[in-house]
Amino acid sequence: MTEPGPLSSASLIRLVALREISARVRDKNFIISSVVILVLLIGTLGLQVALSSGEETSRIGVLGDASVLEPALVAQGEALDVGVEVVEFDDEAAARDAVEADDVDGVLVTGEGADAELLVQQSAGGTLQNVVQGAVAQLAVAEQLQAAGIEGLAVPEVTVTALDPQADQDGQRIVVAIIGVAVLYGLLILFGQFVAQGVVEEKSSRVVELLLATMKPWQLLAGKILGLGLLGLVQIVVIAVIGVGGALVFDIVDIPGDLIGTAVAVVLWFVLGYAFYAAIFAVAASLVSRQEDLTTVVMPTTLVLVVAFVVGIQASAAPDGTLAVVTSYVPGLSPLVMPVRQAAGEVALWEIALSVALMMLAIGLVVRLGGRIYSGALLRTGGKLKVREALAAERA
Amino acid sequence: MLEFDALHKSFGEIGVLEGVGFTVAPGSMFGFCGSNGAGKTTTMRIAMGLVRADAGEVRWNGRPLDQVSRRRVGYMPEERGLYPKMKVGEQVAYFAKLHGVGAAAATTAADEWLERLGLGARRGDAVEKLSLGNQQRVQLAAALVSRPEVLILDEPFSGLDPIGVDSLAEALLDQARAGVPVVFSSHQLDLVERLCDSVGILARGRMVATGTVDELRRRETGRLLRVVVPDAVPRWADGLPGARVVSEQAGDTLLELAPETDDQAVLAAALRTGRVTHFAWQQPSLVELFREAVATPAALEVTA
Repeated sequence: MTEPGPLSSASLIRLVALREISARVRDKNFIISSVVILVLLIGTLGLQVALSSGEETSRIGVLGDASVLEPALVAQGEALDVGVEVVEFDDEAAARDAVEADDVDGVLVTGEGADAELLVQQSAGGTLQNVVQGAVAQLAVAEQLQAAGIEGLAVPEVTVTALDPQADQDGQRIVVAIIGVAVLYGLLILFGQFVAQGVVEEKSSRVVELLLATMKPWQLLAGKILGLGLLGLVQIVVIAVIGVGGALVFDIVDIPGDLIGTAVAVVLWFVLGYAFYAAIFAVAASLVSRQEDLTTVVMPTTLVLVVAFVVGIQASAAPDGTLAVVTSYVPGLSPLVMPVRQAAGEVALWEIALSVALMMLAIGLVVRLGGRIYSGALLRTGGKLKVREALAAERA
Repeated sequence: MLEFDALHKSFGEIGVLEGVGFTVAPGSMFGFCGSNGAGKTTTMRIAMGLVRADAGEVRWNGRPLDQVSRRRVGYMPEERGLYPKMKVGEQVAYFAKLHGVGAAAATTAADEWLERLGLGARRGDAVEKLSLGNQQRVQLAAALVSRPEVLILDEPFSGLDPIGVDSLAEALLDQARAGVPVVFSSHQLDLVERLCDSVGILARGRMVATGTVDELRRRETGRLLRVVVPDAVPRWADGLPGARVVSEQAGDTLLELAPETDDQAVLAAALRTGRVTHFAWQQPSLVELFREAVATPAALEVTA
C-alpha cells in the first residue's frame, strides 16, 4: 500500500462528484425517470412523424400514350395539393388487373369519343375524381379552343403576396422553445430534488460528520452539485440530440438552423439554471434532518420554478410583452424565459449578455451565502433549523 | 505526541470547555471519561475541525492539526454515519480515498480490513442490510482503512455485545501496539481501566483528573481504609482522630484518613474492639475514582 498523499480541493471534489454519479446511475428512481423522459421524447417524435406523413399520393393509370395527359394530371394534382403519379398501360385488361391489385387508384380510359371513363376498384375518392375531372376538362377546353382557332390565350397570373411569410416558421420556433423550456423545467426540478435528497441523506445518516472530518463543507457541496450537474447535463444533451436529430431526420421542422440554435440555448441555460437552483435546493435541504421534512423546505424554491415555467410558457405567446421582457432579466426566472424570447423574437445580444451576467451574479451570491448556511447547518441534527440559527452556528 | 492544549469553547452563554488539556503518547491508549454533556464530544470534534475552538489548539507532532494533517487521523463520530445504500466495500474504499489513498490501494485496503473484521462476505451488500453490530464494524473499518497515524474514537464501544467489545478492543490494542496514539471516550469504565494506559476525567469543562489508572489510584490510596471488626459495637470508630467514617455495616467499616493520620493507631483502636478479620487500604476502582472526581469540585485536581 502506498503512503496516502495530500489531496487537493479538486481531487476531493472529484471524489465526491464521482460517488454522486455512481450512486445515482444505480438508483432506481433515476433510471426510471430517464427512461420515461426518453420514451416521451421518442413518442412525441413518432407522433409528429405520423401526423405529418398524412399527405396523399394518387397513382393514376392511363391507357396508351400519357404524354398529353400526364402534365395535365400532375398540374391538377398540385392545384389540389395532391401528389400524382401517372402509370401507362398498353391495354385495358392490364389496367383492370392493376386496379384490382390495388397497384393504381384508378385508370383513366379516354375513348375515341369525347367521353372519358375512370376505372376504379370500388369508388373514386373525392380528390381522385377532382384531379381526373379537372385534367380532362382542361384538356378538352384546350382542344376545343384549338379547334376554334384560338391560340396563345393569355391568362393573367395571380401574384401571391404573403403578409407574414414566416408565420409557420415562427410557430415552429415557439413550439420548439416551449418543448425546450418544459424539458428544462422538468430536469431542474428533478436534479434539484436529487441534490436536496442527497444532502438530507448525508445529514440523516450522520455520514456528514465523517465527511467533514476530511473536507470543508464547500468542497462537499461543490462535488455534489457538480457530479449531479454533470449527469443532468448529459441527460439534457442526450434529449437535445435525440430531439433535434429526430426532428431533422424525419423532416418535421422547416427551420433546422433555428432548431439547433434553440436547443443549444436551452442546454446553456440549463447549466446556469441548474447551478442556481441546485445550490438553493442544497442549502434548503441542509436545514432539515429527515426526508419527511424536505418537502416543506424546498417548497418555496419549487414554487419559484413553477412560476418561472408558467411565465416562460406565457412568454411564448407574447415574447415582446412587458412581463416576458422584465422576467427574462430576473435571476431564477430568466433561464426559463430568455430561451423562449431568444427563440421567438428578436433579442439583442446585449440583452442576453445582461441576463446571463445577472444570473451569474445571483449564482455567486447564492453560493456564498448558501455555503455559509450549509456549513452551519450540516452538523445540527434534529428538528428544522432556521436560516439565522444556521448562520450563527457557522460562525461558532 | 498528540496534545490537546487549553481548549476553550462556549456555545452562546454556556461554557462547555474551560481549558481542557491532555497529552497522548504514541502507542498509548487514552480513555476519555466524563458524565454526559461534559464536553467529550465537543473536544473530539474540535480535534477533527468540526467545531472551532474559542481558544487553544490540538497538536500532532508539535504542529496544530489542520485539514491536511487530519487526513492522517482515523475518526469515529459518536453519531455513527455511513451511506445506508452504498455497498460496504465501496464505502470503505471511498473513505480511504478521501484520506488520500490511491484508488487501487483503497480497494485493496478496504478488502483487507473487511476481511480482518469478518465482513469479507458482506462486501457487496448495502450497509443498511447489515446488523447494527456489523455496521459498527464497517464504521471501524472506515476509520482504520487509511492507516491513520492517530485514532480519535467517540464512544466506539457503545452498542456492542461483549464479543463485539472484545474484538474492537483487540483491534484498538493492535493499533496502539503499532505506535498509534488512540483516544477514545467511553462510559464503560471497567473497559477503560482494562485497556487504557492513561485516563482523563472531564467534568465541568475541565480535566479534573489525568494520569495512569495507577497514578490516580495512588492518589486515592492512603486515604480509604477498610477495617472489618465483627465483634465491635456500632459506631466504634467515631471519634478516632484523623479518621472519618465513610460507611459502616455490621463491623465492615470504611474509613477515610486524613493525610497525617497513623494507620497503626487505627489498627490499635480496631484491635481494642476484639478480632480484626480485615485491615487493608482500599484500591478504588475507576468507577469510584470517577464518582469522586465528578462529584466533588477540585477534589482530584491534578496536572498531568
